[in-house]
Amino acid sequence: MPRLQLGDWVDSGVDWLLTHLSWLFDAVKALVEGMYDGIDAVLAAPEPLLLAGILAVLAWWLRGLVAGVLAFAGFALVDSLDLWERAMSTLSLVLVATVIALVIAVPLGIWAARSRRVSATVRPVLDLLQTMPSMVLLIPAILFFGLGTAAGVIATLIFAIAPGVRMTELGIRQVDKELVEAAEAFGTTPRDILLRVQLPLALPTVMAGVNQVIMLGLSMVVIAGMAGTGGLGGAVNEAIGQLEIGYGFEAGVAIVVLAVYLDRMTSALGTQISPLGRRAAAKARVASGAKAVWAHRPRPVVPVVGVAVLALVAGGMGVFGSSAGTAEASAANVGRGKEITIGYIPWDEGIASTYLWKEILEQRGFDVTTTQYAAGPLYTGLATGQVDFQTDAWLPTTHAEYWKKYGDQLDDLGKWYGPTSLELTVPAYMKDVNSLDDLKKHAGEFGGKIVGIEPSAGMMGLLKSKVMKEYGLEGAYDVVDGSTPAMLAELKRAYAQKKPVVVTLWSPHWAYSDYDLKKLADPRGAWGAGDGVHTLSRKGFAAEHPEVGRWLKDFSMTEQQLTGLESRITKAGKGGEQDAVRAWLKENPGLVDRWAPVDGRGGGSQAAG
Amino acid sequence: MSSRLEADHLYKVFGRRPDEAVDRLRAGADREELRADGTTAAVIDASFTVEPGQIFVVMGLSGSGKSTLLRMLNGLLEPTAGTVRFDGQDLTALGDRELRAVRARKISMVFQHFALFPHRSVLENAAYGLAVQGVPRAERERRAGEALALCGLAGWEKSWPDELSGGMQQRVGLARALATDADLLLMDESFSALDPLIRRDMQDQLLTLQQTLKKTIVFITHDLNEAMRLGDRIAVMRDGRIVQTGTAEDILLRPANDYVASFIQDVDRSRVLTAAAVMDTELRGDEGTCGCETATPDTPFTELCAMSARVPHPVAVLDAGREVVGVVPRQRLVGFLGDETGGPAPCDSPREGKVTAGA
Repeated sequence: MPRLQLGDWVDSGVDWLLTHLSWLFDAVKALVEGMYDGIDAVLAAPEPLLLAGILAVLAWWLRGLVAGVLAFAGFALVDSLDLWERAMSTLSLVLVATVIALVIAVPLGIWAARSRRVSATVRPVLDLLQTMPSMVLLIPAILFFGLGTAAGVIATLIFAIAPGVRMTELGIRQVDKELVEAAEAFGTTPRDILLRVQLPLALPTVMAGVNQVIMLGLSMVVIAGMAGTGGLGGAVNEAIGQLEIGYGFEAGVAIVVLAVYLDRMTSALGTQISPLGRRAAAKARVASGAKAVWAHRPRPVVPVVGVAVLALVAGGMGVFGSSAGTAEASAANVGRGKEITIGYIPWDEGIASTYLWKEILEQRGFDVTTTQYAAGPLYTGLATGQVDFQTDAWLPTTHAEYWKKYGDQLDDLGKWYGPTSLELTVPAYMKDVNSLDDLKKHAGEFGGKIVGIEPSAGMMGLLKSKVMKEYGLEGAYDVVDGSTPAMLAELKRAYAQKKPVVVTLWSPHWAYSDYDLKKLADPRGAWGAGDGVHTLSRKGFAAEHPEVGRWLKDFSMTEQQLTGLESRITKAGKGGEQDAVRAWLKENPGLVDRWAPVDGRGGGSQAAG
Repeated sequence: MSSRLEADHLYKVFGRRPDEAVDRLRAGADREELRADGTTAAVIDASFTVEPGQIFVVMGLSGSGKSTLLRMLNGLLEPTAGTVRFDGQDLTALGDRELRAVRARKISMVFQHFALFPHRSVLENAAYGLAVQGVPRAERERRAGEALALCGLAGWEKSWPDELSGGMQQRVGLARALATDADLLLMDESFSALDPLIRRDMQDQLLTLQQTLKKTIVFITHDLNEAMRLGDRIAVMRDGRIVQTGTAEDILLRPANDYVASFIQDVDRSRVLTAAAVMDTELRGDEGTCGCETATPDTPFTELCAMSARVPHPVAVLDAGREVVGVVPRQRLVGFLGDETGGPAPCDSPREGKVTAGA
């Protein structure tokens, strides 16, 4: 069989689209982000509990008192987990994706219901969208729309659109042919047949499709989080990246609360807005004779008034709240509110240095946004100018692949920490295994497996092509491709049971402080010299922000400083990163002025503190 | 007053190259030949005229093409060949928009399974056709209410279709069709889905309504009894062709072929025949001279039997001008019931006296 260069065609197709249709993608991006910002602003404006109240009143109206109370409890839980803002941004993302998906899906479904040819064309496309692994959709979405909301929304809506189209088509096809014929026989225009007969009767099915779209959208949220959409998806990704089971669970619970609420509300809305559904529900109520309080549902006017009152209160508080904003002015205000975006990979030194620079730059008057990404999207974002800089580039080895691909679109602002090291690591209780040379004869004990990380990582290439050969491990061991979280989970599991395990690891890494581990010696130097941790910026960043460029180029940290800051941050826990940085800076006075000198206070001559 | 409906050499062929198929049918090809090629001739060369105010029944078994024929009359299906004229207008020449206008104002339809809109109340259903015409709400609700009252559904306006029995649902369907004041009413097996008793009621009601409304009605059925009860004229269809057109009596007394003849075996003749069909027109001249009860040519068969029991001699039949046009001897009544047209054979041991004495 000749090799079909399908992948190459897709690549060149994507390139073509990038060069020729970028205006279209920009327009779409502006539209999507505008919608997202609007909805998010509305959702994030009121006090969490007030909005929870509004949502609960809606639930009361649509489903009854029990649903209202549960909805309030659910949202209060989200708020108490400190995930409110993330939940609202996720909700906004899902709503935007759903709205756009429906704007496309319903007309397409109607068209497919009316034409067999369209139906036959659309079906395989939907199959493709629905079953294509969602990560595969995310990468082109990032390429076209850049990191952030737009890519997340587009990837989500592509993934979620299929049931919207299918259920609309099905709903319309299911409408009794005789009814359509009756409408025709009385001279109804095709448009009115659709609007007055087919759509009203198809509504329950269409609403089931809407429900499916929302549910699929929510399930895509976690993956969209990898494109830097933040929200609960971002929280889950951070938790996975750092193996924080508890935090991941909390974020998961918040997603579940959203999912259950949206699911119940859309299905209730389905019966509420369809005349048939309304009647069926009324009949069921009469039949069951339920007149109890918990089955009572207010007339539409009650929730409308309730929502209006709560919204007014919320609006009022928003107005008063916004006046509390501070505008700090000082001599050190170099940034004057200029916006800087820092991207980071959720590795400990990445988090520490990123929040350190966020704090430093904010003290210097910049408006800093930090966003977490997976390594691939981070480099893409940097190359396309979405992200201004990132502090966690391991060069020349670990991130060699990314550097090769994006290096000429990036500026290297130099190494701030090093050297790092790459290694194979075993738990300290593996007494007889101390060096890579010892591995071969213990292959049976380890089950012939080296637990690796992402196959795209530089160290994996190095391991397979060089280290294995050098120590004669080929044949004796298989390298298991996977992911960093999976590797860490495997390490944790084996460590808890004191089972033999050998993993790929690197330093600095928090695993060395959490577990008693042993780096395997590399007498033949197969891993090569260690990497340096570099700061990379987008092309031209240093020219636009000369001070920041200078500060970053001059930046360096000692191991003591880095580990001290890391442990501070680890103790502070999720959400407390910046507070931990502030506390640490207080303990180490003068560092801000040394790392970010300002004229008059700059250089080595400034007064500490 | 209603208008005349004419169907002229209608063909409907489903499948590929329908025009070619019509040419072959005209040249004498039959349905089976076409089916082998994957085309289906649903209606072949159907022509008929329905006079204003008449009920024209198309009778045929399922698959005979009667429903297809009906749908060509209001343009729901476009004839492959042939024309439909209604009220002097060639419907087959109209564009979509004009055709819709005709359907909205001049032709309405009643369906087999009622086809009521489940998301509209009874009143809204009855008012549907008027809503399509753009009649203002107050007026259309008034007219729909009147149509419902006409069909015996006063007081049910606020109900929903699924709360009604089948018969009542079909009354709503009838009211919906009548509310638009369309001259032509197409009824597609409208009573077939109803219980026999309810079906009788509906047939009676349709006949009663027709006496005042005088619509032109095309009624489709597979039930010959129903066809005979309702139809001023009846067309019998088989395999896409109309095999006979005529009055109920024509069909019953002079079936065009064995197929029609086999149909009428089950028909209750006593419900169809009238004095005109059974009377003996060879007169002696003195039949109308006595003071006994007399019949008219329209007197139904069953009534004639009752009369015959009360009158000692053959019943005289008088026309509108009180002229005797025929007599009905008792023997003929019995003969028609038994489908026996011949006279009695001589008996080898006559018992005339005993019989008359007993009568």
